[in-house]
Amino acid sequence: MAAEARIAAISPDKTLETCARQIIVIYFQQMMSYKDGAKEGRDIEFVHQMRVTSRRLRAAMDNFVDCFPEKAFNKYYKKVKSITRTLGSVRDLDVLIARFEKEFVTLTEAEQADIRGLIEHLQQEHENARKPMLRLFEKLEEADFEIEFLEFFVGRVCNPDEGR
Amino acid sequence: MAKAHKINGVKPLCSYHENARIILPQKVEEVYRWEPFIRDAARREELHNMRISIKRLRYTMEIFRGVYQHPKKRSKGAPVTGAKRFAQFLAVIVDLQEILGDIHDCDVVLRVLTDYTHQPASDTEVSGSISADGKDGLAKLIDQTKETRKASYENFLEKWEQLSASGFKRKLLSFFGT
Repeated sequence: MAAEARIAAISPDKTLETCARQIIVIYFQQMMSYKDGAKEGRDIEFVHQMRVTSRRLRAAMDNFVDCFPEKAFNKYYKKVKSITRTLGSVRDLDVLIARFEKEFVTLTEAEQADIRGLIEHLQQEHENARKPMLRLFEKLEEADFEIEFLEFFVGRVCNPDEGR
Repeated sequence: MAKAHKINGVKPLCSYHENARIILPQKVEEVYRWEPFIRDAARREELHNMRISIKRLRYTMEIFRGVYQHPKKRSKGAPVTGAKRFAQFLAVIVDLQEILGDIHDCDVVLRVLTDYTHQPASDTEVSGSISADGKDGLAKLIDQTKETRKASYENFLEKWEQLSASGFKRKLLSFFGT
């Protein structure tokens, strides 16, 4: 089931703390499901979807901060923030390159020469922006971030739909 | 980018429903914090911050969608579909976010084009370079982007003024408080 449908199905009568755990875990799992595609880099949609979901996750965490012990919560919040930031650098360049490539075909040959240089420049920046993203993913994997995150927000690694 | 406002008064052990009424109005207020600046098209930073606050409101509404999905009873007993009204409010928020997104995209494109135009020749030579005697393509894109930005901004302001005249904020806060 898609994250939106799973969240919409949460009972409004449950305590906020219970719902907060479910929502954070749902968004986290969805965000991480795009990681392999983002690493591969063949389809720009993976970076886009991972970034959007990381923002939804952060919005949820901003709202539910009072439901969790502050120190540990902040540690996970900062990690999610760093994921958003590193994906943002790549995504912004994806958008720019796509936009200029679209504009490119509407220009005359002489005008195209100027834009070609700009696109190549942005493609180089894009390659550079992917490096910190890949390094961050590697670091998170080495630190078992995914397991730790789920253990904190669920108490154990399990299906967040359980007990609904 | 401005940080999200700290949400006050959250009650972790009270219901999700009750907390929606505490959290959502604060997200609305965060959006309206930027309203005094939006009638100046040059306030890029504030327009960007409003976009981010609207996005936070949108995501928070989506988090609490379930609260408004069950039909409620009016005092006279006529059923009101909360889900339908919720969807209408959300559509307005998404629309505003998208128009502000278009404005921001234009601002980013203009910055990139301007920076690239002013890059020293030695830098641009490395990556393909701007033609020595002309920057026609760049100048044309800058002009086109300025036009697009102007149209998006006017569209945004017109929608915002219409919403203000119709009491959108009051209606939204009233809906969240039910």
